[in-house]
Amino acid sequence: MLSWLIFIPFLCALAALLPVRRIFRVWLLGATALLHASVVGAFWINRPAPEWNGYLVLDPLGLILLSIISFLFLSVAVFMIGYFQHEQRLNRTFIACLLLLLSTMTLVSVSYHMGLLWVAVETTTLFSAPLISFHRSRGSLEATWKYLLVCSVGIALALMGTFFLAIAANDVHTLFLPALLKQAPLLSVNWLKLSVIFLLVGYGCKMGLAPMHSWKPEAYGQATGMAVVLMAGGLTQCAFLALIRVSQICFQAGMSDFYASILIVTGVLSLIVPAVFILGEKNIKRCFSYSSIEHMGLLALGLGLGGLGLFGALFHMINNALVKVVMFLTAGSIAQKYGSSRVDDVRGLIRSYPLTGIFLLVALLAGTGMFPFATFHSELMIINAAVIAKHYWLAAAAVICLALMFIGVSRIALEMVYGQPTEPVLAKKENFYMNAAIAAAVALLLWFGFWLPEPLEKVLREAAALVGV
Amino acid sequence: MTTWIDAGCILIVFFALIILATSRIVGMIRIFVLQSCVLSLMPLFLHAEAVSARDVMLSLGTVSLKAALVPFVLFWAIRRISMRTEVKPLIGVGASIVCGALLIAGAFWVSLALRIPGRPVTDLGLPCALATVLLGFMIMVTRTRAVTQVIGYLVIENGIFLFAVSLFDAMPTLIEMGILLDIFVAVFIMAIVLNNINEEFEHDPGGESRAKMGETF
Amino acid sequence: MILMILFHWFFVGLTAPFLIGVIARVKALVSGKVGPSLFQPYFDLIKLFSKQCVYSHGVTWVFRISPAVTLAAMLIVCLLVPFGSLKAPVQFSGDILLIVAVLSLSRFFMIAAALDTGFSLEGLGASREAFFACLSEVALFMCLIALTLLARRMSLSGMLGADSPLSWNLLGPALLMVVASLFIVMLAENCRIPVDDPDTHLELTMIHEVMLLEHSGVDLAYMYYAAIIKFFIFGAILVPIILPVQTIFPFINTLIFAGGMIGLAALVGLVESSMARIRLNRVRNLLLIAFALAFFGLIVTLWRGAL
Repeated sequence: MLSWLIFIPFLCALAALLPVRRIFRVWLLGATALLHASVVGAFWINRPAPEWNGYLVLDPLGLILLSIISFLFLSVAVFMIGYFQHEQRLNRTFIACLLLLLSTMTLVSVSYHMGLLWVAVETTTLFSAPLISFHRSRGSLEATWKYLLVCSVGIALALMGTFFLAIAANDVHTLFLPALLKQAPLLSVNWLKLSVIFLLVGYGCKMGLAPMHSWKPEAYGQATGMAVVLMAGGLTQCAFLALIRVSQICFQAGMSDFYASILIVTGVLSLIVPAVFILGEKNIKRCFSYSSIEHMGLLALGLGLGGLGLFGALFHMINNALVKVVMFLTAGSIAQKYGSSRVDDVRGLIRSYPLTGIFLLVALLAGTGMFPFATFHSELMIINAAVIAKHYWLAAAAVICLALMFIGVSRIALEMVYGQPTEPVLAKKENFYMNAAIAAAVALLLWFGFWLPEPLEKVLREAAALVGV
Repeated sequence: MTTWIDAGCILIVFFALIILATSRIVGMIRIFVLQSCVLSLMPLFLHAEAVSARDVMLSLGTVSLKAALVPFVLFWAIRRISMRTEVKPLIGVGASIVCGALLIAGAFWVSLALRIPGRPVTDLGLPCALATVLLGFMIMVTRTRAVTQVIGYLVIENGIFLFAVSLFDAMPTLIEMGILLDIFVAVFIMAIVLNNINEEFEHDPGGESRAKMGETF
Repeated sequence: MILMILFHWFFVGLTAPFLIGVIARVKALVSGKVGPSLFQPYFDLIKLFSKQCVYSHGVTWVFRISPAVTLAAMLIVCLLVPFGSLKAPVQFSGDILLIVAVLSLSRFFMIAAALDTGFSLEGLGASREAFFACLSEVALFMCLIALTLLARRMSLSGMLGADSPLSWNLLGPALLMVVASLFIVMLAENCRIPVDDPDTHLELTMIHEVMLLEHSGVDLAYMYYAAIIKFFIFGAILVPIILPVQTIFPFINTLIFAGGMIGLAALVGLVESSMARIRLNRVRNLLLIAFALAFFGLIVTLWRGAL
C-alpha cells in the first residue's frame, strides 16, 4: 500500500506531462490528492505493514507528517480549481512538479533508512524549485536560483552527515533506523557528534532555521501562494521529520543533551532573527515568510526542550501546516486579485473582498498564536516547557519575539484589511473554491483550538514516546 | 594498489585546486570531467583484488553521469555564453590558489583529530575528501557566475562521494544509485533554471540588467 | 679531492651543452624540420669565446664581473650535486640551503648587471626575473623541505645518493607532487617555454634573454654557459627522484642517469613544442600552482609521518 501511495502520484505526474487541456490537469491533481487523502485516512484506522524489506515503514511520526501533506495537497487542489479559472498561464510543469512533490514527500514521511531519507529530502528540494519560478519573472528566477543553490549545498552537508553517521555506525553496519536505535550504544560518540552537527546544519538549511534562512523570504515572496503552502507547510516539516529522526538516534545513544543544546540555540536564533527583520517589511508574503521562520524556530525549540515541548512541537507541526494554508492561500488569492502583495497596492480588503479580508485577519491571529486558534495551545506548550526546564530567559525571549512578530505582521495586515484604498477597486465575485479551501483550514484551527480529538492526541502521544520522553 | 588509490585521492584534490585556479568557464568544466573520471576509477581501485558487480555499476554510473551527462547539460546551459568567458572571481586567482593550499592544510589538520573506526583502505581518503569539499565551497563562494557556482556544488559532491567510496560500504547500492541520480537531476534542473535566466535576461532590452547578467548569471 | 672537483667540472662542462642540443633537435623534429646538429651549442660557445667583449660607456664594474660571478656560482652549485654514480665532491648536512643561496646570488648579479646598463628593457626583464624568482624560490624550498622529510636527510647527496633511493611504493603520491612541482620550477628557472621563450627576441615579452642584450663576446658566452649548466643541475636533481634505480655497477648507474637526462631534455622539448608561452600575468598563477603542489606534497609527507 505504501509503495502505491508513492507510485500513483508519480504516474499521475507523468500523465500531467501529456499535452492535455489545462483544466484536466487540475482535476487530475484533485483526484490524486483525494485518493491520497482517503488512503491516509484509512491508515488512521489500520496502520500498513512495512514494505521494501523495511525501507518503508509508517510510524506515528510519519503518520502525522503524511496526514499534514495529504491535507495540504487537498486544500491546494481545491484552491487551484478556482485559481486556474482566472489564470491563463500554462500549468504543465507546475502540476507535474506538484504531483512529483506529493510522491517524494510521501516517501520522506515513510522512509526508515537514513540514506533513503536523504535521497527523498533532496528530491523534494529539486521538484519544488520549478514551482517557485511559476511566474518566470526575473525576481522569481533569482529566488529559484538562490533556493536551489542554498538548499542543494545544505542537503549536500546533510549527505556528509549521513556518511559520518555511517562511520559512527561502523559496528552496526547499517543505516536502518530500527537497527540504529536498537544498537545505539555501539555508535562511536565523536563521529555521532560530528554527524549530528552536519545533519542539523543540512536539514536545518532545508527547514530554514535562522542562520541558514536566507532563501526563505526570496522564495516565499516570489512563488505563487499554492507552491508556498506546500513548501512552508510540507517541505520544511519534512526536513523537521529528518531532525526528529536524528533526535531519536541521539536519545537512544544517550546524547540528547548535546543535540538539545544545539537545537535550542538555533531555535532561539530563528525566533530573534525574523522578529528583527520583519519590522521593515512591506510585502505580505515576505512578512509571512518571516513568520514561517519563527514557526520553524518554535519547532526546533520544542524538540530541543523535550517533554511537554516535544508534544507541543508535534502538535505545532499540524497547526503550522494549517496556518500556512490560511496565510499563503489568502496571500495567493490577494496576489491574484490585485496583481501584487505589497501593502502599497492592496488596501481596504474588508470592503472589496470581505471574506478574504477576514481570512487575512485569521492568518494574522492564528499565525502569531492568538487565543481561539490551535497555535495558541501549541506555542504555549513549548514556552511552558521552557519554564518547566527553568530556562526563564528562553521563555521570555520567545514571548518577546512573538510579540514583535505580532506587531510586524499586524502593521501590514491591518493596513491591508482596513486601510483606505487609493483608487476604488472594482470588486469581482469571490471564488467559491478558493475560499472553501481556506475556510476548511480555519475551521480545523478553531476545532483543534477548542478541543483536541481523542485519536489525534493518542497518535501525538505515541509519536512523542517514539522520540523518547 | 595503495599507491594508485593514494594517487587517485590526491589527483582529485589537485583537480579541485586547478578548477579554482582556472579562469575560463569551459576550462573549469573540462577539468571537472577529468576529476570525475578519476573519481569513477576509485571504486575499482579500492576493491582491486575482488571487483564486484556493485563496484562496476558504481563506476559506470559515475562516469556516465558525472563525466558525460552533467558536462553535456552544463555546456547546453551555457551555449549562449562565449567560450572564452572569464570567471570573474571575487578574489584573484593567485590569492585563491594560496587560500586553497591553506584550506588543504586545514583539512589535513582537522583529519588528525578524527580517527576512523575499523580499517580504511587508505588513510588519505578522509583528508582528501574534506579538502575537496572545502575547495568546492571556496569555488562556490568566490566565483560569482551562476555556472561556476554549479561547478562548485559539483566539486563538493565529488568530495562527498570520494569520502563515501573510500571509507566504507555500508550504503546499499540502491541508495548510492539514488544519490548519484539525485545529483544529476539537481544539475539538470539547475541547468534549466540557468537557461531560463539567460533567456529572460537576454530578451531584456534594458542595459542595467544586462550588466547584472554578466556579473551574476 | 682537487681531482674529484676538477673531474666533476669537466663532466658538467662537457655534457651540459649536449642537453640543450637535444631540446633543440626534439623541437625541430616535432615541427617537421631536420634541425641543427646536436652539437650546435658547443659551436655557439666556441664562437662566442673567440670574440671580444664590447662595453658601453656607462657600465661599471658590476656589469663587468657579473658574467664571471654567474658562471662561478653555477660551478659551485655543481660541486654539491651528484651526477649518477659520480658522487658530489662536497656534501654536508644542510647544503640544500647553500644551493638555493648560491643560485640566488647568481641571479642577484644578473639583475644588478641588467640594471647597471640603464637600458629600460633590461630593467623590465630584471623586474620580471626578480618577481618570478620570488615565487619559484618558495616552491623550490617547499620541494626541498618535502624531500628532506621524505628521505630523512639534510644534504642533497643524501636525498639523491646511492644510500637512500626514494621509494615510489611508499612515498608515491607525495613524491609525484614534488616531482611535478620541481618540473614547473625547472621550466621557470631555466626560462623554458610556458614561462619564457628562449628563442624569441621580442623585448617586451622576454625575461631572461632581454637581460643579456648588452652582453657580448666572452661575457655572453659565460652567461650562456651558466644557463646551460643551470639546466643540467636541475635535471640532475630531478632525474634521480624520478628514476631512483640503483644497481651495483657504477657504469649502469651512469647510463641510467644519462638516459634520464636525455629523456628529460626530450620531455622539455616536447612540452615546448606542444605549448604556447603563457601570458605574463598567468606565469604567476603557474608558479603558485607549483607552490601549492609542493605544499600539498609537504602536507601529505607530514601526514604520513604523523601516522
